[in-house]
Amino acid sequence: MFHFASLSLFGAALLFAVGCGGSGANSSRGDVLIYAQSDDPKTLDPISTDIAEAVHVITNVFDTLVTYDETTTDLVPSLAESWKTSDDGLTWTFKLRPGVLFHDGTPCNAAAVKLTFDRLLVPLAESPDKSSNPAGVLAHPHVYIVDRPYQSAYNMIQAVEISGDTTVVFKLLYPSAIFLNNLAMFPASISSPAGLDEHGRNFAEHPVGTGPFKFVKWDRGQRIVLEQFDGHWRGPAKIKTLIVVPVQENATRMQRLERGEIHIAEGLSPAELDVLSKNEKLVVQSHEAMNVAYLTMNVEKSPLGNRKVREAIALAIDKKTLLQVGYGGNAQVGVSMVPPTMWGHDKDLEDRPFDLAKAKQLMEEGASEEGMKLPIKLELSVMNQARTYLQQPLPMAKFLKDSLAPIGIELSIRGRDVNAHFDALMAGEHQLGLAGWNSDNNDPDNFLYTLCDQDNISKAGNNLSRFRSDKLHDLLTAGQKEMDKEKRLKIYSDAQRLILQEVPVVPLAHTQIRTAHVRGLAGFQLHTTALVRFRHAHFEAAK
Amino acid sequence: MTAYLLRRLGHALATIFVAVTLVFLAMRALPGNPLLARFGQHPDQKQMEWLEKQYGWDRPVYEQLGTFYWRIVRYGDFGESIARPTKSVAGELLEKVPATVELTLAALALAIPLGMAAGTAAAIWKNRWPDRLCTFGSLLGVSVPVFFLAIGLRALLPWFPVSGRLPSAEALFEPLTGLYTLDTLLRGRFDLLPAVLHHLALPAVALSTIPMAIVARITRGSMLEVLSADYIRTARAKGGGLLRVVLRHALPNAAVPITNIVGLQVGLLLSGAVLTETVFDWPGLGLYVKTAVVGDTDYPAVQGSAIVIATMFVSINLLVDLLFVWLDPRIRVK
Repeated sequence: MFHFASLSLFGAALLFAVGCGGSGANSSRGDVLIYAQSDDPKTLDPISTDIAEAVHVITNVFDTLVTYDETTTDLVPSLAESWKTSDDGLTWTFKLRPGVLFHDGTPCNAAAVKLTFDRLLVPLAESPDKSSNPAGVLAHPHVYIVDRPYQSAYNMIQAVEISGDTTVVFKLLYPSAIFLNNLAMFPASISSPAGLDEHGRNFAEHPVGTGPFKFVKWDRGQRIVLEQFDGHWRGPAKIKTLIVVPVQENATRMQRLERGEIHIAEGLSPAELDVLSKNEKLVVQSHEAMNVAYLTMNVEKSPLGNRKVREAIALAIDKKTLLQVGYGGNAQVGVSMVPPTMWGHDKDLEDRPFDLAKAKQLMEEGASEEGMKLPIKLELSVMNQARTYLQQPLPMAKFLKDSLAPIGIELSIRGRDVNAHFDALMAGEHQLGLAGWNSDNNDPDNFLYTLCDQDNISKAGNNLSRFRSDKLHDLLTAGQKEMDKEKRLKIYSDAQRLILQEVPVVPLAHTQIRTAHVRGLAGFQLHTTALVRFRHAHFEAAK
Repeated sequence: MTAYLLRRLGHALATIFVAVTLVFLAMRALPGNPLLARFGQHPDQKQMEWLEKQYGWDRPVYEQLGTFYWRIVRYGDFGESIARPTKSVAGELLEKVPATVELTLAALALAIPLGMAAGTAAAIWKNRWPDRLCTFGSLLGVSVPVFFLAIGLRALLPWFPVSGRLPSAEALFEPLTGLYTLDTLLRGRFDLLPAVLHHLALPAVALSTIPMAIVARITRGSMLEVLSADYIRTARAKGGGLLRVVLRHALPNAAVPITNIVGLQVGLLLSGAVLTETVFDWPGLGLYVKTAVVGDTDYPAVQGSAIVIATMFVSINLLVDLLFVWLDPRIRVK
């Protein structure tokens, strides 16, 4: 049985060889920047994703017609040099920046812009045989997949017309106050027609845009490699190679950052970031963001249809303490659904103060109106995985359970994985639920209409409380079409007041975004819109 | 013998069929719409309904199950991933399995020899310190959770990389077989071999503790029995040295139960060490299945993995049984 002995020897040799290995613990600094996020994207086709991990890559490979300023949330020209609107607000003419090239060397012209929006907007084929592409999905040769999660954000577009090589005219169905904002969102990233022709169905894995970084390769589950694009119209990015790696476990991501194996780690919890901020070799960057975490109360489930009950619940939650429990203090108390960092947030809105006595009284009244006796048993749905806006869902849920006990609500907590959680909430299966929203386009409409309007009650709709109000609906639809900024402000202020009064939801918090990176990394700046841009990122020369 | 083989093969196929069918049904019973992994905070009802129809989820479950098996038998097609709609599950599995195989082999290369050595030593010096050490060690080995062990190992051995198969900056290496240790040689990248082994070390150690502990316990028990046998006493009385008697006479006779348990462990390890692969970001079958079940509810990915795992498990078991016949002529069936 000597092979057992030799096997042992092999094992020992392996250990020895490895012990002597020694290389590779530290990645070289200088030309390569390694960014770690908690998951690998599913697709890199801008029109067919909604996942932040994909967006972080897409924003750096593509450009949009207009974009957000480097530091503020003002819209500035990007691929479009200038634009003008007709008096009726129905025709928008964009003059494209001349001489811009895609990574494949073809020019970015009006035809590319038209193709991009055609892909985004083409309706589903009536049936697979009526479609013109091989996948049998859509009546468009360049769309290979049904998914276009953001299609409805561009519903106001009637047609995109080419007028010469560098002029594009958008015809709208109705005047829209959010049209320009939506052009700055990543789904409207201008894609290369030649790239689409070349890669076809695999464009999702070989994105070709005009952005500061060009796509090199994607080892699924391991790394996405991007390279500085010399021909970028703003000048080349400062770093040569950008590598995006998925690291699923927070503890692993944290340790890799501490060892210098990666340079930036996103998605860490407040407690982990607090530990890292004490490390001299690291920097924890915080930035205000545009999101909201809220408690949804399904008004179709008794006794939550009663406004007094909902108000009692709102009164019983001590939001200041909640911020400590849920976010380690790195958040702001939520009063309105619209984050305070966003235009349209009503600063004069006054929250109900934390008042247990009043809560108890309202709860008793509400319960007796509903013919129920206290204590009432209710279920709170919560997701198992952390979100930007809900960094520690379970402790938050437990805090709410303790908060509602004194007013006669016995809360049980139901945890589900995040997909199943939102599936159940949209279907209206919950009584109480923790939820949240990240801004898409920096406009209050995106929070108020999407989360509170009766149009969005469906198994795929985000009005999770299923609250119906014609008054609110009238306000929100008027806000979408009003072009005058002052008038819109008034409309949204009224809407926020109405929501506060009717309490279909309890806004809980607006969080900051926080990211840890190695010291010596410069030019990497978090942005209020949560855009992650690497164009200026570089390492400072070692001292 | 042929009849026996055929019968065993039939059993194996039936086992795979039952396992895969159960997984298929269990996945349909899980709450949550798989499409939400794609649509995120912007589900579009019309598009989602279109897709549900395309995937055939509006059909009764038995019909879906039939289609699923029909496509495998007729076209060898495991379907396309729901979460990554451009990727075929078969292609993805081909990428993931080698990573798991490499990790398994490395873990076994540690677990089998060390486990057997420890178990043998414990049996020879029964109730003395090697025995106590072995008992304590194996208790620790089976009871320390992998994620804890991983974090502990990384803290104790800071000169080993934290996770992955290669340094993240090593972006341009193109694997060939998916077994990186082999690929560095095949591609002539000898400079990368130390880095590959270096990355392999901690996950292999973390994965090896449980099988090592089990192998040690079984070896100890089996060796104790053999060592008390008359022929060992005779061999020793004839003046055979301890090492020679143990290696030549005792170990081969103690091998049957050890082979059995090793076989089971190989099956378990090959089916993807979910925890180890997750903690170390090892892009193998375990991490693939975990993401498919927990994050994505990706039916085809889970079903494809189930087929691969069940097949590996059943074939290893079959192999072990055949190995018995070779190791112990008494078991040979007529």
